[in-house]
Amino acid sequence: MNKILLIIKREYLTRVRKRTFIISTILFPVLYLGLIFGTGYIASKSGTNLKVAVIDSSGYFDKGSIERENMKDSSSILTLVNNVNPDSLAANFKSMGYDGYVIIPARLNWEASEASKLTLFTSRTIGGEGYRPVQSKLNNIWNRIKNEKLGIDDTKKTILERNTIGISATNVNDKTADSGVATGIGYISGFLIYFILLLYGSQVMMGVMEEKTNRIAEVIVSSVKPFQLMLGKIIGIGMVALTQFLIWIAFIFIIYNVTSASGSDTGMMGGMVGGIQKVFTSMNISLILFCFIFYLLGGFFFYSSLYAAIGSAVNEDMREAQSLSFPITMLVIISIAMMSAAMKDPSGPLAVWGSIIPFSSPIIMMARIPFGVPETVPVWQLIASMVSLIVGFIFTTWFAGKIYRTGILMYGKKPTWKEMLKWAFRKN
Amino acid sequence: MRDNYHIMPILELQHLRKYFATQKAVDDISLTIEKGQIFGLLGPNGAGKTTLIRMITGIFYPDEGEIIFDGKKFDPLNDIAKIGYMPEERGLYKKMKIGEQTLYLAQLKGLSKAEATKKIKEWFIKFDMHSWWGKKVEDLSKGMQQKLQFVTTVLHNPKLIILDEPFSGLDPVNSNLIKEEIYNLAKNGATVIFSTHRMEQVEEICDHIVLVNKGQKILDGTVGNIKQDYKENLYKINFADKIMPEHLAIHLFEVVRKSDYEIIIKLDPGYSNNDVISYFINKGLHIQSFNEILPSLNEIFIKLVEGTPTARQFQEVKN
Repeated sequence: MNKILLIIKREYLTRVRKRTFIISTILFPVLYLGLIFGTGYIASKSGTNLKVAVIDSSGYFDKGSIERENMKDSSSILTLVNNVNPDSLAANFKSMGYDGYVIIPARLNWEASEASKLTLFTSRTIGGEGYRPVQSKLNNIWNRIKNEKLGIDDTKKTILERNTIGISATNVNDKTADSGVATGIGYISGFLIYFILLLYGSQVMMGVMEEKTNRIAEVIVSSVKPFQLMLGKIIGIGMVALTQFLIWIAFIFIIYNVTSASGSDTGMMGGMVGGIQKVFTSMNISLILFCFIFYLLGGFFFYSSLYAAIGSAVNEDMREAQSLSFPITMLVIISIAMMSAAMKDPSGPLAVWGSIIPFSSPIIMMARIPFGVPETVPVWQLIASMVSLIVGFIFTTWFAGKIYRTGILMYGKKPTWKEMLKWAFRKN
Repeated sequence: MRDNYHIMPILELQHLRKYFATQKAVDDISLTIEKGQIFGLLGPNGAGKTTLIRMITGIFYPDEGEIIFDGKKFDPLNDIAKIGYMPEERGLYKKMKIGEQTLYLAQLKGLSKAEATKKIKEWFIKFDMHSWWGKKVEDLSKGMQQKLQFVTTVLHNPKLIILDEPFSGLDPVNSNLIKEEIYNLAKNGATVIFSTHRMEQVEEICDHIVLVNKGQKILDGTVGNIKQDYKENLYKINFADKIMPEHLAIHLFEVVRKSDYEIIIKLDPGYSNNDVISYFINKGLHIQSFNEILPSLNEIFIKLVEGTPTARQFQEVKN
């Protein structure tokens, strides 16, 4: 036992002290947040200031109302150019300093019961994000005109616009969970586990390969049993994954505490923070955290022992390792694909079975738990899932240990899965 | 003369067998190794040496047979700490610091941290390695790595040291250093199993040897006895006088090679050295030297192993 501890300690310390661990621990959340804020920022900035010339043949649009709209939103500028001939505008709009032009036809009729389609002619390709502000400006003016014609004043207008019926879905069994937040947490949890399984699983595989190609494996197994070496490595690397995860959780708690103290609620940051706070108040955070750690470690042990077996069977060639580990990686990928389907109906049969079968349970059960225990996930399912995962990883570890014991001392040709199964079921 | 200390065997193998799917890697091998011996385990590649060693080091379980270690049935879990094994396929963690790594390997053998640190320092000073502590293995030359590997093998004062091709990759200076250490360890009571196919080293170092081929033991004895057993009664005689054809008898011996002042003869069965010497004295020749030619181990082993087609050939001795 003492020897396993020594191995765990070595595996843990050599990895945690590496610069790559420290950098990736800090960089991952920074990049993640950067991605969220960055795309939001770019999206908000990329509504390029479109200069659009407008020729109005209908007579509804006047300079004053267009100016008013330009004042409200400067991301696009409309200019009424009724004095310009449409043909010369079409030919010269670019040299006149416009990005495009719209011709409002004379047939535009406020009493019409169908939508009117106009065209924005431009000199470059513009996506929906680009022309939508132009459309909404024109619609604002058009609405005002229609309101006037219909005799709708501002009070009536407010009634028309604001007085709507909203709907949100609530599970009658579920007292707490907000399904939007639950979906978000479920996705994040599922993806995080997926990510950790693949990342740290391959670290286990490469660690085993390193020991084999460095030819230190036989030196070590003359001091400890091969199974102890394998287990020590898996647990050590599992602890590294857990450490990284806990550091991230600590980050989130710090953000939560700092922001709940300052209480800012404006802007994107405020929205994010509000979201996080909503999660903390509406969810059973300690249960989610406990389950997350359980499924993280359970899933990790389940898969990483298989990855260890592969690492022991191949030689230094990374491609051999990849081709042999493909079926295992595939199981993880299938789980994440199943998760997307299961999230749509978190109490459906796919979700239930997917969260009990050990190969997919770490991802799928973790995606379901935020929807509520025992409302969406009955207690028996949670227990069945946990027990089957424990049984599952004990089996894969035993199975992998048998392959590992033979593989680690075997040099030469890459074995096939069939040969590896033979190693596993050979007595001694 | 041997004292009591030497009589007790450190290791007894009784009818060991280990079969793999396609081959009988070890097929009924029995042998006894006495304490303090330097024991040569020899054989061509693929003979079953490594499998045999892996059973002795607890890495493999024998399919059949018994291993008696230090008077008791071998218990891998506990006895492993009393064994030091340097495999042929050996290496170290390349990116790990040398001091830390040596400490780790020593602790895996059951030494406490304090004890291990003390021992490592002693050995590092002895081998002039004390400046290496904070370096990484990848910064060392191959020869230096081998030296370090040897230190990690013997650091925990094992009773039984198993060295598989210990001199491969070593320059003559470091080879000698290791050789001296092997003698030292044996003198201090450790038993050394020395596995190799380099015969000239075996002749020099080993007290007792065993030859295995195709999973079976085909030779067992001291170097001297084996040479006696396989000698071909060849003698080399140098004379002060020129040898004339009339000096050479038809009975008594057969001339293998002859020059003016030296002949090599093969003695006919039933005659002794004295018969030859008195024969030449009677002929009036002055003998300058008279030597029995014993076969080298290399010659004996090539003879024994040849004609066994499934075994790979001995590799040529390279220096």
